[in-house]
Amino acid sequence: MANLYIDNVHKSFGETHILKGIDMDIADGEFIILVGPSGCGKSTLMNCIAGLEQVTTGRVIIDDEDVTQSMPKDRDIAMVFQSYALYPNMNVWKNIAFGLEIRKLPKEEIEETVGRVADLLQIRDLLKRKPSQLSGGQRQRVAMGRALARDPKIFLFDEPLSNLDAKLRVEMRTEIKKLHQRLGTTIVYVTHDQIEAMTLANRIAVMKEGHIQQFGTPQEVYDNPANQFVAGFMGSPSMNFIRCQVVDHQGDATIAMSVDGKDFHLPIPQQEKGVRERVGQEVVLGIRPEQITDVVPQQEQASTLANVDAEIIVTEPTGADTLTLIRMNDQEVNCRVHPARAGAPGDTMTFMINMDKAVFFDLASGDRI
Amino acid sequence: MTVKHSNRRYSEITGRAVLYAILIIVAIYYLIPLVIMISTSFRDMNDIRFGHLIDLPSSFSFEAWRMAWSEVQIGARRQLGLRPYFINSLLITIPAVTISVILGAVNGYVLSFWRFKGSNIFFALLLFGCFLPFQAILLPQATVLGKIGLSGTIPGLVLTHVVYGVAFTTLFYRNYYVSLPGELVKAAQLDGAGFWRIFWRIILPLSTPITVVAVIWQFTQIWNDFLFGVAFSSPQSQPVTVGLNNMVNSSTGEVRYNVDMAGAIIAALPTLAVYVIAGKYFVRGLTAGSVKG
Repeated sequence: MANLYIDNVHKSFGETHILKGIDMDIADGEFIILVGPSGCGKSTLMNCIAGLEQVTTGRVIIDDEDVTQSMPKDRDIAMVFQSYALYPNMNVWKNIAFGLEIRKLPKEEIEETVGRVADLLQIRDLLKRKPSQLSGGQRQRVAMGRALARDPKIFLFDEPLSNLDAKLRVEMRTEIKKLHQRLGTTIVYVTHDQIEAMTLANRIAVMKEGHIQQFGTPQEVYDNPANQFVAGFMGSPSMNFIRCQVVDHQGDATIAMSVDGKDFHLPIPQQEKGVRERVGQEVVLGIRPEQITDVVPQQEQASTLANVDAEIIVTEPTGADTLTLIRMNDQEVNCRVHPARAGAPGDTMTFMINMDKAVFFDLASGDRI
Repeated sequence: MTVKHSNRRYSEITGRAVLYAILIIVAIYYLIPLVIMISTSFRDMNDIRFGHLIDLPSSFSFEAWRMAWSEVQIGARRQLGLRPYFINSLLITIPAVTISVILGAVNGYVLSFWRFKGSNIFFALLLFGCFLPFQAILLPQATVLGKIGLSGTIPGLVLTHVVYGVAFTTLFYRNYYVSLPGELVKAAQLDGAGFWRIFWRIILPLSTPITVVAVIWQFTQIWNDFLFGVAFSSPQSQPVTVGLNNMVNSSTGEVRYNVDMAGAIIAALPTLAVYVIAGKYFVRGLTAGSVKG
């Protein structure tokens, strides 16, 4: 158990700069998720924390001790790899015990630890098997067992569930969360599955092109994205981005919107003060699909609401909701409506737009206004 | 519909029959020299002298094998037969194969998992060794061996074969190791294993198939080598290939075909044996772990 402090870490391979100044302060026992598109540097950052890559500049500090120059084995970190990286020539027992044997633990202690980990992960029956005789889910458990047996200061998970089928992935996700609650060890976890990110994390770091775009709790990142990239990356289906103009309407700054030829105004929520100063300028309105729904009568009095009739282009039923595509300002917009209330493509239906959680971005930079 | 179907079957069977006939004929053609060598080696000279050279044996004896092994006079050498040459070959081949295979494995391990600045250039330069014609290095290597005092000795020949074999073994191991997942080494590093422990405990146990390939290749190359064996040896350190050549050339009147044939087979047996023994492990290595561990 330990805190982890990453101080202005840069990493370059020749002329290619992968990490461009990463700062993270991770408290003891936190579950941190790194997300980002392929090539954003999240795996490189993991390797730098583990010591498998040397940082070009910057410091890595574990438990108030500078380990920047330490070998991987001296950092007391365990890692679960995407490919599991089980030793093919050893059986499950040996795989789990390997790290303990190298650390010259007494035989009885190794026996006991392997047994405890095997019980915890329910792999006791598999201890005599070779990795090639295990299913994907079983291999995943063994890889976790190998990490758990060491009882390290920090766990690193590099997309551990991405090779599992959908059902197993959800099961293992829950198990990892349970495990973390039980052990309380600091975890840094890389994924590109944003549901994994939302459900597991204490805090999420969204990365892009070697920079951390935002580092905050899942709800912060979801509700209060730092920029258009973060807003578009988190959430599925992703946030709608609509180009629109800020106008003065009866003495109040509003958003001018046009749907199927009809013009109307959308209110700007109280907290978005910056947009009010941009009257006459074009901005990008970010609004999540669940903020545009069918009309819910009991909410209709709120000041941030607007109703609009729009023609449905496409519907995508997901079971719980029906995703409905309409056009606003001639741009496609996804709405999330109740399945029973959803119309058919070609129909016109009344949508309720809730601007309460709407966010605004600068047209050129994509930064939050 | 059914008629058409059976027609196709007949044409398929005919095609197969023709194919197999051709294969059998080619195989016989290919095997005949070996059969003649073996049968001739068991005939005695009278049989060959009065019959045809190519004939089934009307007599059967190990006399020619005994002669070739330990009795025939080769050149002006005091010890008789191929035996001393054969022993020389073993003394050259076994250490040379062992050392070059071990070096190749370590080289391949470093070049695949412990890259350093310029390791790709290093590997590319090393590959030149595979394409270097042996006759091109005869003079420089003779000078080197002379300078370090190993001219005409068995250690000198071992050194020569190791130096020119390492390029091949490194190539084999490196290309095999790059196909292993690099995360294995990372996982072992995090588990606390160092350079040599990872090599012994993780990488080497996975190397059986490529080790068999490297051993077969190196053994065949070194055992069958004639050029280095004749150029860098003294009469006391000549390998069996040179001995065989000398035996066939130092005639004392008539050509004893049966002894020559027996000698040639003796000189070829070890490579055959290595292939038969190691080939079995080769297949075993490839299929290990797929069904049962």
